[in-house]
Amino acid sequence: MSITVPTTRQDHRIAWLTALAITIHIAESALPSPLPGIKPGLANVVTIVALVQYGWGTAAWVALLRVLIGSLLIGTFLSPTFLLSLSGAVASIIALRLASWVPGRGFGPVGYCLLAALAHMSAQFFTAYWVFIPHAGLFRLLPVLMTASLIFGVTSGIIAQMALHRLRPAEKPAL
Amino acid sequence: MMKLTRADWLVLIAAIALLPGLYAHYWGEQGPATTVRISASGQQDITLPLSGERRVKVHGPLGDSVIEIHAGRVRFVSSPCRGKQCVHSGWLSHSGELAACLPNGIMVSVLGRERQFDSINF
Amino acid sequence: MSFDILCRQRTLYFLVKWSLAVCIALNLGACSRDAEPVHQEQILVFGTLVDITLWGVNDDKAQQATAAVISTLNKLHHRWHAWEPGPLTEINARLARGETVTLDPDQVEVIRGARELSRQSGDLFNPAIGRLIGLWGFHSDDRPSTIPPPAPQAIQQLVAQHPTMEDLHLDGNKLRSDNPALQFDFGAYVKSYGVDRAIDQLRRHGVANAIVNAGGDLRAIGSRGDRPWRIGIRDPRGPGILASVEIRGDESVFTSGDYERFFVYQGKRYHHIIDPRSGYPPDGAMSATVIYPGGGVGGGASTALMVAGPKDWLKVVRGMHLKQAMLVAADRKVYLTPVLAKRIHFEVDPPPTVIIGQP
Repeated sequence: MSITVPTTRQDHRIAWLTALAITIHIAESALPSPLPGIKPGLANVVTIVALVQYGWGTAAWVALLRVLIGSLLIGTFLSPTFLLSLSGAVASIIALRLASWVPGRGFGPVGYCLLAALAHMSAQFFTAYWVFIPHAGLFRLLPVLMTASLIFGVTSGIIAQMALHRLRPAEKPAL
Repeated sequence: MMKLTRADWLVLIAAIALLPGLYAHYWGEQGPATTVRISASGQQDITLPLSGERRVKVHGPLGDSVIEIHAGRVRFVSSPCRGKQCVHSGWLSHSGELAACLPNGIMVSVLGRERQFDSINF
Repeated sequence: MSFDILCRQRTLYFLVKWSLAVCIALNLGACSRDAEPVHQEQILVFGTLVDITLWGVNDDKAQQATAAVISTLNKLHHRWHAWEPGPLTEINARLARGETVTLDPDQVEVIRGARELSRQSGDLFNPAIGRLIGLWGFHSDDRPSTIPPPAPQAIQQLVAQHPTMEDLHLDGNKLRSDNPALQFDFGAYVKSYGVDRAIDQLRRHGVANAIVNAGGDLRAIGSRGDRPWRIGIRDPRGPGILASVEIRGDESVFTSGDYERFFVYQGKRYHHIIDPRSGYPPDGAMSATVIYPGGGVGGGASTALMVAGPKDWLKVVRGMHLKQAMLVAADRKVYLTPVLAKRIHFEVDPPPTVIIGQP
């Protein structure tokens, strides 16, 4: 007897968004960086697009699955890099949730992306600090990391905004 | 199309405004690089002059990382981690620069003159 | 596919400009400080590497002052050398023959000062045991490790003769000794004396902010402009720094350690600080550091602390009225007086186990 797992429209969305995010993530992982953590974070674009188009739930799934499957594919599952990515993803998801409660017009893609990037980097940094190198000297990196996440956050936000501009405006979010 | 909401602007400006504070706080006094500090979790720091030639073996949970000081620069020569990010960081020569092997819990930082000592008693 | 290029460019442009402005401002801020008048010179003199750091004087004055210090230290080195033929060896020979020696005023000062310190330390700092130090081979700049330590009988013999500063009779400037075994070797005390004379010279030349560091033992006066002098204390077993203090005003920092002059024979380390009671170098401590205002006490105190070790260090602290002392024991525990515990800053992470002694 075969088992059929009914899939919803949302499942499909999550699947292709995650696939897209993972592709970008893997491409990015080939880039060198001073500390495992400074990456352009372009895969975040997908997360934010998912957030604005399809809601927080979808975005959360995409973010988490991206980290999980991405690490399995690259081979860093359960490695320090994985732990860092995971902490970053969880923090950015929480930040996005909180941000979505802002009244009025709230945030646009740029704001969301920036917040997500800052939360992501902060979480990664403190995970590195608490788990791997509990040493005050590590803080010398913090200003550089936060500058990078600021720049990349805004950049990916702009890209996300451009992308959203081109997607069907009809499908509005249920945040 | 590039319309940022008010909330967007607020976050952006707040983030930019915070940056100088971070730099001032954590970078503080800087100057020409003169010292290397090697920190390994669970062990005492080693502070060494950036001048001179030296190879230091530091023990971490994964094994020994080798750090080399040569011609006013310092780098990870080898490390038992898989990613070798630390080795790929290459040579450090400016104060504030940092290389770390997270899996092996070892950090190498270059410190500026202001943090060094005016005189050493021994 | 038409972007709103202008709008996007404008935003990015704005951001880049902002970030650059911030970075430049920060860098300029950092650069503008510190075109400071610090002069630092290292010279081989006084039997060691002497580091003279001057702040707040122009080049000419710095050169003059430094030259004066070098000249002073050269003279002192010859005058107080424990084994090269010179005034001190002459005094030693004559005292051993039972003769009465007529001293110069500076010699009276040194001998009197050393005797007082010796008393206060309970004779743990004993500059009269020159023979014992010579027996161990430390009356040479380079003692080979292939030569074994002296025979126990030879050591016993010298210990039994028990020369101390109490064997001296000092009448004005006339000196006589009761004990033919007495031989002066002032050890680190000469260093403190030399450093003090160097500081005097600097002051005479109008220098108010300086550090004179003679082979690791130093005295700092004034401050480095608007910030204090930062002094690092070396780890007895490492190339790195164990702890640091900041000095503003006039303070000396003297350390005696088992790593300064030593030899290793058959796996055991024998260093140059001899316990006058046993005739052997003690192994309870790796280093002892004393910080005190002004000059004077210095090398004698750190020597006595090394000999006392963790068991008796507080006796020395009390006897010599030391407020700030640190002992790094052989097991790496750090013993501190309360005053020093408050101001010292450990530079190692994790910091060592600290035991605060109440003098």
